[in-house]
Amino acid sequence: MKCEECRTLIEDHVDGALGEKAEAVVNTHIAGCSQCADFREGFIREQAIYASYERDVDLTPMLWSSIETRIKQERATEGPGLLARLREQVLGTFAAPRLSPALTFALVLIAIAITVVVMTRMNSRRDDSQLADNNRNAPAVDAPGSNDEKQAPPVTSGGERGGDVGGTKGPSAPTQNTVKVNTARKPAVAAAMPTPAQLVREAEQKYVAAIAMLSRDVNRKRPQLDPIMLARFDSALSDIDRTIKDTRRVVRENPEDPIALQYLLAAYSKKVDVLRGMSASTD
Amino acid sequence: MMEAVSLVGQLSGRAGALMNSSEELIARARRGEDEAFRLIFDRYGRPIISFIYDMVGRRDLAEELTQETFVRAYKNLKALRDDTKLSTWLFGIAKNVARESLRYKHRETDKIAIDDDHVIELSDGKRPPDSELLDKELNGVIRDALGALDEDKRLVFTLKIFQQRSYEEISEITGSSIPKLKTDLHRARAEMRRRIQPYLGASFGS
Repeated sequence: MKCEECRTLIEDHVDGALGEKAEAVVNTHIAGCSQCADFREGFIREQAIYASYERDVDLTPMLWSSIETRIKQERATEGPGLLARLREQVLGTFAAPRLSPALTFALVLIAIAITVVVMTRMNSRRDDSQLADNNRNAPAVDAPGSNDEKQAPPVTSGGERGGDVGGTKGPSAPTQNTVKVNTARKPAVAAAMPTPAQLVREAEQKYVAAIAMLSRDVNRKRPQLDPIMLARFDSALSDIDRTIKDTRRVVRENPEDPIALQYLLAAYSKKVDVLRGMSASTD
Repeated sequence: MMEAVSLVGQLSGRAGALMNSSEELIARARRGEDEAFRLIFDRYGRPIISFIYDMVGRRDLAEELTQETFVRAYKNLKALRDDTKLSTWLFGIAKNVARESLRYKHRETDKIAIDDDHVIELSDGKRPPDSELLDKELNGVIRDALGALDEDKRLVFTLKIFQQRSYEEISEITGSSIPKLKTDLHRARAEMRRRIQPYLGASFGS
């Protein structure tokens, strides 16, 4: 056997992947060739280096508890759709014994408030677009007398002139009795008004910034936390993170879905609360 | 009397072994025994998380993907056809999970991100090779080198060198032919060797 041939087989030789015959041939060659013997030694040293490689990662009890939680969720929620699962996750998080009734109540209030704001915005946008449709279809000059719904004449309605363009008065009246609208100004106002999705994005950015700050603080304090307490907090955070992830997926698919938007913000709010709780427990 | 004691001992020993065999654990887990699946996790969790970590290079992501691997395994236990190949099957799931994550990540960045605090640049390869610092440095160099391998090479290198899997097993896990695996491993070794050269000594690989 030539040295070149031997060296092509050395990898398999070191890996123990050579057949009996080839193994014997390689061994015979190496016994009489110091250069190939050195080459093999090099491989063995290389293997030793890889064998001593230490990773900064290990199994933690938290990892199993997260898996267990997810398995239980999978089992419990087999069948229902994504929204139903989300609802259960969020409700499950709220119903966890670690939450005080006052906090739960506060969270529910926040969630209701967000829903009201989002719904109001969405309704007012719908009204705006209907108004815009009416105005597009209406004659350039006021033409009283027509009862055709699509070409209804703008009727001035006393103090309501100008309309609820900001959406602050909640769902507004049907458009066939609508107010006289300044058609020149309306599109500009509508364009300036943020959509629910924009509002949520803004709120999300604020939550993310707050969460980043709190997380840094909590990570500094981790060694001082009671391990059992820490495991519970981590479990709660893991549940919330999953809710955030799932809800964001739903929001991506349905950017105007008020329920999904509400859940998303509620989950962020919950995460902030849990992080605050962790931070406060070491003070 | 002694024979009876010995027989009881043998039987209980066999029962104990059976209780802990992969086949038995799978059967129990399929019947819904959480404890059995916990034992599967205890047995295979460490190699799986190490493998995923080597593939993705980030601790937090490795934990998340290990979680995903075991949840998928639990959901698909019924699909496991050969109960004697639990470990190969788990590595196959872990490989898919890691690859999905890498593909997602590749859309954001082309390079595998390695935990910043782990990467220590080799400032001078000729420094005397002793001290704890060197081990840490070498770990960083290996991690960095792994991250620089392309996905196929990293996969085969990790499974063969770190997880000590046979070519047949790696072929089952990856779906690649053995000759391709050998070629990829040979190239991966060469690339890795180039990077850890200062730690190998002068007579090899040059």
